[in-house]
Amino acid sequence: MSILTLNNVSYRYDGTKKNVLKGVSASFEAGKVYAIVGKSGSGKSTLLSLIAGLDVCTDGKILHGENDLKQIDRDEYRAKGIGVVFQAFNLITNSTAIDNIVLSMQISESNERDKKSFAYELLEKVGIDKETADRKVLKLSGGEQQRVGIARALAHNPNIIIADEPTGNLDTDTENDVLKILSLLAHDEGKCVIIVTHSKKVSSIADEVLGMKDGKLTSVNQGK
Amino acid sequence: MYIIQNALKNVVRNKGRNILLGSIIFAIIATTVVALMITNTSDRIIDEYRGQFGIEVTIERNTQTFVDMRQRGEAAMGISITNEQFIAFADSDLLQRSVIMNSAMIYSETVTAIGQTGELAAGHGFAIAPTMQMHGNNWEDFANGHRVLVVGEMPVRANEVVISEELAELNGISVGDTIRLFGTVLEPAAAMGFTPPVFDLVVTGVYFCAAESVGTWGSTTMIRQNEVLTVADTIPGAAIIARYYLRHPSYIDAFEQELRAKGLHPIFDVNTDEHLFNAIVGPVEGMRGIVMTFMIVVLVLGAIILILLSSIAIRERKYEIGVLRAMGMKKAKVALGLWFEMITITGICLIIGIIVGSLVAQPISTELLAQQQETAQNIQDQFFAGREIAGLSRVVNDDPITEINISLGMDTMLQIILISLFLASAAGLAAISKITKYEPIKILMERN
Ligand SMILES: Nc1ncnc2c1ncn2[C@@H]1O[C@H](COP(=O)(O)OP(=O)(O)OP(=O)(O)O)[C@@H](O)[C@H]1O
Ligand SMILES: [Mg+2]
Repeated sequence: MSILTLNNVSYRYDGTKKNVLKGVSASFEAGKVYAIVGKSGSGKSTLLSLIAGLDVCTDGKILHGENDLKQIDRDEYRAKGIGVVFQAFNLITNSTAIDNIVLSMQISESNERDKKSFAYELLEKVGIDKETADRKVLKLSGGEQQRVGIARALAHNPNIIIADEPTGNLDTDTENDVLKILSLLAHDEGKCVIIVTHSKKVSSIADEVLGMKDGKLTSVNQGK
Repeated sequence: MYIIQNALKNVVRNKGRNILLGSIIFAIIATTVVALMITNTSDRIIDEYRGQFGIEVTIERNTQTFVDMRQRGEAAMGISITNEQFIAFADSDLLQRSVIMNSAMIYSETVTAIGQTGELAAGHGFAIAPTMQMHGNNWEDFANGHRVLVVGEMPVRANEVVISEELAELNGISVGDTIRLFGTVLEPAAAMGFTPPVFDLVVTGVYFCAAESVGTWGSTTMIRQNEVLTVADTIPGAAIIARYYLRHPSYIDAFEQELRAKGLHPIFDVNTDEHLFNAIVGPVEGMRGIVMTFMIVVLVLGAIILILLSSIAIRERKYEIGVLRAMGMKKAKVALGLWFEMITITGICLIIGIIVGSLVAQPISTELLAQQQETAQNIQDQFFAGREIAGLSRVVNDDPITEINISLGMDTMLQIILISLFLASAAGLAAISKITKYEPIKILMERN
């Protein structure tokens, strides 16, 4: 059963002429890890943005289960249905790491009783200790910010997790930890995990690898 | 409510920017506090003044109507207001008070008027020309200090009178004496056998009069020391002079309708004499006007600056808002949060503004009032100069208001809070309307 279906999706940024995505079709299932690889500028982040419900496609359709993303309340979908790790982290920089996580849980109306300790635990899992969690995001290293971003994407327990280069700034050990978490989420908890990556290691843990070229998903390789 | 929590945190997080915004809001609020305190207190004083003294109504023959009627051959000369009408007019809820006075021309065979040289003789159409005047119920000069009782008591019953020091001295009259006065009779009436009314009056007191004892046009009746003062009942048939004081100038039309209903002829105009009133409260109103104008200018300029500044501030936070939207926060909630931040900043400024404003309002108003006073004094002097020559006197308490105690009332407080709320919302909304137009993808991808 496909949890996410792309149907001939095209996208053009407002005020530009060229389509960045040109008729992309694919379907993603729960319980699997997908890797999307491709050259810089090929449109990977744009595709993730559309899947994340940050905008609607110019042509075609994206279905979440049966529902067209164009029709549904995308605020609600972003808050509860999907977790996003952005390539540029997109954290609230003048607020602390822990506040970022808690705020995300509040927005998604998480029914976790003690949001703060849950958030500390989650940060601990991605390798952020309490002292670091209480620091402003501005004062964190790139890798630390990336891990806060990952924790935030998981905080509200979404069914779909999409991550744009989630291990780009991480050392090998942390990368391994993060990948382990992501594949456990897919394989044990039945989430759908989509990772945009340049890393061979990430592709190697993926159940399916998709290639992006010039706004098209060109090849579909079998993963591991 | 996490939106409020988050807004409060944001106020602290963005200290630098908020202090800048806050100082402008503070300046606007403090100015508004001062302005509102002064205007509201002025209004209260003006109202109190009105309530206390009323606005005098004038009922005058319209010369143009008079002339027109004569040209049309209508009898305009005989139209007048009867004594009964004057008394009936006073019975009105619109009036703060009224004074019914009367007066009669008199002469005496035993009391020589000041300035009187010859014997009593016919003149001015009278069988015997008057040498003095008798006034009933006219105590204005005692109220305003132009006359003072120096011996005895004021008349309370019919046929009791007070006379001037000069008149008493000239005729050797003392308190307790009885004097005989006569009313005037026109020559034709005398020829038909009418005799002058006789008044036997008891002198209960002697007054001092500040006016110069010089007659005009050779008539001793115009000398103020020749006025015999009594209660209205002493001269029941005499011509009435009435003064009516409205509670509020705006009641004039309603009052005129009442008068017309009571039979006032259209030849008479009914007006208010706001001139005197304005001379007294003028400085306060002048100050109020200046302060009001200043406040409006500050509010308009301040609002513009505030809206510009907050739009800039919000634009800086575009990214933050993009992130919130990407996390699934609804536009309305983002806006609510921003509005709440604005309200918090405004609230803090409101408290400081009210404290500082109330501290400086009094010295500012004292200074402004002093300046207004000078201008008003000149105008007032010119106005009264003419009146005093004509023998008219200033009415009670005509000194302009020179000092007002500024205070912060509930109404002022409420107005300030409403204005602040409005400012905060205007600034907030101007900014919010900008930012919520963007789809989050634009904000976030632009940063990449
Ligand atoms: N906000 C924007 N407005 C216009 N064009 C944009 C915008 N953002 C990205 N693009 C263009 O869209 C294309 C795809 O960009 P995108 O960021 O999706 O690439 P990518 O595959 O994620 O690249 P990378 O591997 O470097 O992250 C690029 O040509 C880029 O210049
Ligand atoms: Mg990218």
